[in-house]
Amino acid sequence: MTAPFITCRDLSKSYRKGRNIITPLEALDLDVPEGEFLALMGPSGSGKTTLLNLIAGIDRPSTGELRIGDTELTSLSRGQLTAWRATHCGYIFQLYHLVPVLSAFENVELPLLLDKSLTRRQRRDRVRQALDLVELADRADHRPTELSGGQEQRVAIARAVVSNPGLLVADEPTGDLDRKAADSILSLLRRLASEFGKTIVMVTHDAQAASAASRTLHLEKGQLIEKATMSPNPQPVSPSS
Amino acid sequence: MKRMIALLVLAYKQIVRHRVRSLLTVAGVTTGIFLYTAIQTMQQSIAEVTRSESGEDTLVVYRENRFCPTTSRLPEHYLAEIRRIPGVAEAVPIQIAVNNCGASLDVITFRGVPPENLLAYNPEIEVIEGSVTDWKERSDAALVGQQFARRRGLSPGDTFEAVGVRVWVAGIITSPLPQDNNVAYVHLPFLQQASRVGLGTVTQFNVRVENPDDKETVAASIDKLFAGDSAPTHTRPEKAFFAQTARDLLEMVGFTRWIGLGAVLAVLGLVANALLLAARGRVMESAILQTIGFPRSAVAFVMIWEGALLGAMGGLIGSLSASLFFRWQSFTLGNEGLTLALNPSLGATLTGLVVACILGIIASLWPAFVASTQPIVTSLRKT
Repeated sequence: MTAPFITCRDLSKSYRKGRNIITPLEALDLDVPEGEFLALMGPSGSGKTTLLNLIAGIDRPSTGELRIGDTELTSLSRGQLTAWRATHCGYIFQLYHLVPVLSAFENVELPLLLDKSLTRRQRRDRVRQALDLVELADRADHRPTELSGGQEQRVAIARAVVSNPGLLVADEPTGDLDRKAADSILSLLRRLASEFGKTIVMVTHDAQAASAASRTLHLEKGQLIEKATMSPNPQPVSPSS
Repeated sequence: MKRMIALLVLAYKQIVRHRVRSLLTVAGVTTGIFLYTAIQTMQQSIAEVTRSESGEDTLVVYRENRFCPTTSRLPEHYLAEIRRIPGVAEAVPIQIAVNNCGASLDVITFRGVPPENLLAYNPEIEVIEGSVTDWKERSDAALVGQQFARRRGLSPGDTFEAVGVRVWVAGIITSPLPQDNNVAYVHLPFLQQASRVGLGTVTQFNVRVENPDDKETVAASIDKLFAGDSAPTHTRPEKAFFAQTARDLLEMVGFTRWIGLGAVLAVLGLVANALLLAARGRVMESAILQTIGFPRSAVAFVMIWEGALLGAMGGLIGSLSASLFFRWQSFTLGNEGLTLALNPSLGATLTGLVVACILGIIASLWPAFVASTQPIVTSLRKT
């Protein structure tokens, strides 16, 4: 049996708010195999986004272990974590968060700007491939304000995959979209997992969105409480915690 | 280097695509740097006068207790006696006529000198248009300083009238001594008559000594010689003469240093304010950049480049427009017959540009710190 791509062991996150200690995530164990499309569901404040941010390396756990691929994230310095994010993790936000003054092309190009190993031509080729993947090559010169919500999210997905990371994390990627656009985005995410072997962790409130994933886990009060049923068309699944 | 260029390009896009904000900031920087460069030009111009104008071996013989060319009157026959004093190499009588003895921005100065003495005494003068021969041959002819000619739009063959004196322009001259570029040299007898001073009376004598170390001794000898005469003299090294005459100008220009400092602080505050607002407005954007792999330093450098570019743009426009403005206007500041051309210099222009860039960078440091040190998760929660 191959080792899981994401491994969380006894993972906790606490922070102080005034006089209180808040613990959005407590002693969580989780294994996610490579290429799985995992949905995380749960009520507000259940710790979904906290877990997502820890997996994405933009926040640090208070205790526990968090291994992604061969890298133990808890042992990385802030600078190392930034470098790791640049090459290993793509983040997709609910509200897309494209830089408004940049075109679609320039937004997608952003993660590659600081990669010294790429020539300008290689960078442009990578961006074009990413835009082709999300079927927005013809909108490359458009600014975010000239795109629909669904198109903006596609650009955001292109930005997340342009550096070819193994891991994609998505925080309610369809939360701001109508059903049709949401289905299109979910279909794209499913394709990224199935065709390109990306491991995807998606937080969602939407059961229909979660059904697009190969597995759904529920969180409540910082702990996994349930293993949801597998999708009828699942990705390779391995035992979770 | 490659990274820095990428961040510079990103900063440039932020500037040109936030057009209104950038235009307002650049306009403010331009105004401040225009003012700063203008003041630098004034200060450098006056420093130039007191530094280079005065030859180390030159004395100015003036009427005692007189401070204006219209009241300093000395008998021309002093010349022969001055020339006999040991240590004097050469002396030239000069009649000066000015349109305004007080502080003025448009001073017209005629210097009457014996035609045969001008080039011998002032070998630095170079005729760039017209000819010295024409000047020598015609009694009402004038050799007009380059700056003066530009200000008045004069060329050889023109005539013009000022201070009640009408002259014909025989040539345009240039000289490394700024004073020469702001006056009109005419024949001494002509000016004495035209200005109604009368033949035989001059404003001053300029005396060159054989040994610069003997300046004080020679000056004392001259004053002693005429102390009992009807027109006692006060002889000073040319440098001291200019320093005293320029004292009022120096005070006036010295005051403008504060305006210059104010302009610098205004630019600093303006750019800092614009960038701080930008940094606060782009909290989410900075968090996104960090999320996709931009190190904090890169986020900070985008902001610093923005500051530098805003400063450079405003500085370039401000300092160049100030230089062009002074060149176009050809202002001449004058007091008690001393004229000071406000000449824009490359140094003042470059200083304005460099100061603007440095101010832009300094002003961006705090906004850069703010933009780069916001915790990512906290910033993302502000959605």
